[in-house]
Amino acid sequence: MSDTVALSLPVRSELLVLARITAATMASRADFDIEEIEDLRLAVDELCLSVVGGARSGTVRLEFSVDEATISITCELESDGEPDGDAPGEPDDLSIRLIEALVDEHGRNAGHGRRRAWLSKRRSRVEH
Amino acid sequence: MEPTFEVNEQVTDGVPVVAVVGEIDVATAPTLAEHLGVHEEAGAAVVVVDLLGVSFLDSTALGVLVGSFKRLGQSGGTLKLVIAEPRILKVFEITDLVRVFPIFATVDEALQG
Repeated sequence: MSDTVALSLPVRSELLVLARITAATMASRADFDIEEIEDLRLAVDELCLSVVGGARSGTVRLEFSVDEATISITCELESDGEPDGDAPGEPDDLSIRLIEALVDEHGRNAGHGRRRAWLSKRRSRVEH
Repeated sequence: MEPTFEVNEQVTDGVPVVAVVGEIDVATAPTLAEHLGVHEEAGAAVVVVDLLGVSFLDSTALGVLVGSFKRLGQSGGTLKLVIAEPRILKVFEITDLVRVFPIFATVDEALQG
C-alpha cells in the first residue's frame, strides 16, 4: 500500500495541531504502534518548527507518504515575499535532540527563498 | 482550531501550583510563560508546575520551562515539575532535562520534596 497526503497551511501557530493530527492518523492507518504514533506527532511538530523558524507569514506545505512500513514527511515553507520577523537560524538544541531520537532519518535544506526539512520513520511491528 | 489548553492556579501552603491541561505547543506555550512570569516577578521561592493533565508538549514548552527555571534560580528559587505520564517524561529524558528539573510523581510529593 502506498498513500500520499498533502497539507497546505498558512503560517499560524494554532494550525500546527493539524500537522500533528494528520501524522498521527496516517501512522495509525499504517499500523504503527501507539508509542511510534506519539513519536511521530512530536517529530512532525519539531520538523515544522525547524522550517518555520521566526517566519510570520507564508505557507507551510506538508507531504505525508506511507510506503509499506515507512512513513515519510516533508515540510516546506514558501515565503509570500513579506520579510520575516526573525532570521530563520538553526533549530534549537532541544528540537534537534528530539528529532534525532524520534525518527530514523531526517534532513533539511534551504535556498531560493524556500526552507525544507524531511523525516522518515519505520514501523517496528511486522506485518502478518 | 487551538488544541485543548487550560492553565489553573492555586496556592498551597504559600507555594503556587500551576496546573496545565492539554497540549503545550508554540500556540499555547506563551500563555504558560505569562503565568510563570507572574511568579518569577513576585520572587517566588518555589513554583510547582503540574503537568499531569498534559497530553503533548514540544521543544517550545521545554524552552518556556527551562527559561522560568533559570530565572527563578537566579533569585534562589526553583521550579518543580509533576509528571506521571511516561510519554511526557520521555521528552524530558531524550533532552536530558530529567537531570535539570526536580521531577515528582504527585503534587503532594512536589510540595513536600
